[in-house]
Amino acid sequence: MIEKSRDFPPVNTFCRMCDNHCAITVHRDGNGQVSNIESYPDHPWNQGRICSRAGGAVEITNHPDRLLRPLKKVGSGWQEIDLEQALDEIAERVADLQTNFGPESMSVWKGEATSFNQQEDLAKRFCRALGTPNYLSVDSLCFCTREIGWSLVYGSWPKPDFRNSRCMLVWGSNPPASHPPLTRQILKGQERGATLIVIDPRLSTIARQADIHVQPKPGTDGALAWGLAHQLIVNDWYDKDFVKSYTIGFDKAARYAADFTPGAVEAQTGVPAQTVIKIASLIHQAGSRFAQLTGNGIEHYENGVNNTRAIAYLNALCGSFDMKGGAVQVDGLGQQSLALFDEIPLRQLKRADGDKFPVMRDFRQECNTMTALDAILTGNPYSLKGMIMTAANPVITNPNSEKVRKALAALDLLVVRELFMTESTGLADYVLPAATFLERTELYVYGPIQTVSMSTRVQSIPGVQDEYQFWHDIAHRMDFGEYFPWENESALNEWLLQSTDVDFKELQNSPQGIQYQQIKYKKWQHRPLTTPSGKVEFASSYLAKQGYEEIGEYKAPRYLNNPKPEFPFSLITGARNHLTYHSSYRGVERFRAEYPDPHVEMHPDDADGSGITNGETVKLSSVVGSIEIPVKIVSRQEIIPGVLQATHGWKEANVNALTHDDILDPIDGFPVQKGVPVKVERVL
Amino acid sequence: MKIVTMDPRKCVACGHCENACAFHRSGNYDHRNSAIRVNHYPEKSACIPMTCVHCQVAWCMDGCPAAAISRCVETDAVLIDADRCIGCKICMLACPFGVINFDTEKLVCFKCDLCGGDPKCVQHCFPGALEFENEEAIALGNRNHHDNRLIAMFGRENHD
Repeated sequence: MIEKSRDFPPVNTFCRMCDNHCAITVHRDGNGQVSNIESYPDHPWNQGRICSRAGGAVEITNHPDRLLRPLKKVGSGWQEIDLEQALDEIAERVADLQTNFGPESMSVWKGEATSFNQQEDLAKRFCRALGTPNYLSVDSLCFCTREIGWSLVYGSWPKPDFRNSRCMLVWGSNPPASHPPLTRQILKGQERGATLIVIDPRLSTIARQADIHVQPKPGTDGALAWGLAHQLIVNDWYDKDFVKSYTIGFDKAARYAADFTPGAVEAQTGVPAQTVIKIASLIHQAGSRFAQLTGNGIEHYENGVNNTRAIAYLNALCGSFDMKGGAVQVDGLGQQSLALFDEIPLRQLKRADGDKFPVMRDFRQECNTMTALDAILTGNPYSLKGMIMTAANPVITNPNSEKVRKALAALDLLVVRELFMTESTGLADYVLPAATFLERTELYVYGPIQTVSMSTRVQSIPGVQDEYQFWHDIAHRMDFGEYFPWENESALNEWLLQSTDVDFKELQNSPQGIQYQQIKYKKWQHRPLTTPSGKVEFASSYLAKQGYEEIGEYKAPRYLNNPKPEFPFSLITGARNHLTYHSSYRGVERFRAEYPDPHVEMHPDDADGSGITNGETVKLSSVVGSIEIPVKIVSRQEIIPGVLQATHGWKEANVNALTHDDILDPIDGFPVQKGVPVKVERVL
Repeated sequence: MKIVTMDPRKCVACGHCENACAFHRSGNYDHRNSAIRVNHYPEKSACIPMTCVHCQVAWCMDGCPAAAISRCVETDAVLIDADRCIGCKICMLACPFGVINFDTEKLVCFKCDLCGGDPKCVQHCFPGALEFENEEAIALGNRNHHDNRLIAMFGRENHD
């Protein structure tokens, strides 16, 4: 049995082993050390359930390899230095770079390893205060395509109300691995009579319970979505009143959809024409109770934003936008903004990505990481000299790892805050220890249930800073301390809540969270959307003005349009696993029995065709690079022939050595990390 | 009595119940140490979780020659006393559900003990396939599921 202590009572807080923030109870032993994590029963988000990732936090917090002292690169080795000295030196070197090369020669890169809520806004705030527009993050290849695609149509990203749905369409997302609490909502919806349709070339975990599992060729989701739209339109299955009163550009979309007959969709996607008709009729029958989820699976293509837009249209067509059981427009908490976008707009400064992605700039105020790394290597549009990286490991997670490595190594100053040494800390001049989620307090907003919670600091380790303390200490060593006036994270949380109706003290004593607003539907009846027209936009004049397609046109992925015989397979990367989280947690001992090694998934016919046996190590190559990786021959239902899948995050077989940082979605700059043309060679 | 109930309609074979059980028993996520096991049949599109249902007439208990299997007074759970178990595997042969396993290190049989009344598998089943519930709830759960199908077919719903 696990020891429970009286001196150190259990603490209710929130898990941040992934970005779902399930309510947990943390137990400590007689020495105050974190000893066990259990679910907290009364939070509406996870309803007393957690996944077994949560328990890994016990090991991470107490891990002997955890970084606890600042390190400074000396020659080819590391020297432990005092935290205050490290901060002094870093602040001085940042100031020197900015004096010599201009304020925009500095950048900040925010990763996923500690959190992504106000940590992100703090990093953005620091950038603004520092005077650089070069805020970089993993949002360059995760999340933003969905956010931007949906927002271009509806002004924001509506969330699926699966519990009350009649038809649920899940595109390229695997909630059991990526959003555990959503899984329960989906299966609850199914229990209450909804049809679950999963669209994924792989038999993902959620697809195991699908009523219909559709396996399109990678990257052809847009053609399928247009095919469904076409069916809704030609059969008169769309909500004419809603379309007439609350949307613009329908006629253009309807004209474009006309080419996507079931036969044409089958030819493009591999999805049988009859299945397209069947799904469309299910959407029609569900009407206002049609809900969909789009995942990272549709983002990593050149046409990700427009594919997402085409998918998003379906909710408007069947009249399920902001309806119970449909796509619900979530109201935010309205907390104070940390990012200083209005106070210090920095509009006059060019970004290191040459402002090639104005949509990304307008929606997210971010600089594209792939292009920024080019700037480091080429000095074009200008030289990026310094970077503070917090909890990111782009050598493993960004495409074209070799180039990432070269670029980071070429920086004059690289500071990395981390929990553990990684492939990216290895290139740093300074490595600083970072606090885990059990050593911080921050606000978590659960959009779909319009509830806010605040995590509790369970423990503190002397010399290990939380994000706020770090930015605060650097800012106060430079000349912009006034932007970081709060004494600590708690004071910051209190300030963030000042613009809301939620009371800080009450929230502190509410492990079950506080619903800040009841869910309301049909808000479009009395409130214009935040799109430029105030309506649902099938056609975007904003995009047209920037030189992009006015409607979400479909373009076939390059591997289909321009096939290269020497690279006959199409490689998907980044399918989520139930225990790891991107490049994190490979060192968690208890996870290893269940997820010990990297592998590439292959259809039995493809293996037979090349004589490859299960477990055999092969050489996997693309135009960009190659790796050696063991093959896992999956069952016939689990992947389509000609398609391979390898999960990212393994240094032992880093699949991002193969992915493209040079083929990007023209709208938001997302890289091609799926549908990568590759070849497989036996290593004998 | 309360048992761990299993609904194959909500199981996605994510393995978190097996991780949690294995960890509770052995300190790692090795599924060989788990008392609950989930089988995934991709070709049949089926996920089948299975753990001990603590039979009222427990054949494992009847067959045990070492009197190592007994019923817990507090929880009604059928328990194997590892100190008394002689590793003969008769209980494994007797169990019609195949939910008694063999610990190849300790050389004894093991099965679900309901974690003393707070089953870790249920806590870690976020899809909701596992519940810790009594006989009445089992009937009610299946009845609701059946009703939902009929409601979907015949219900006159108020679309608000």
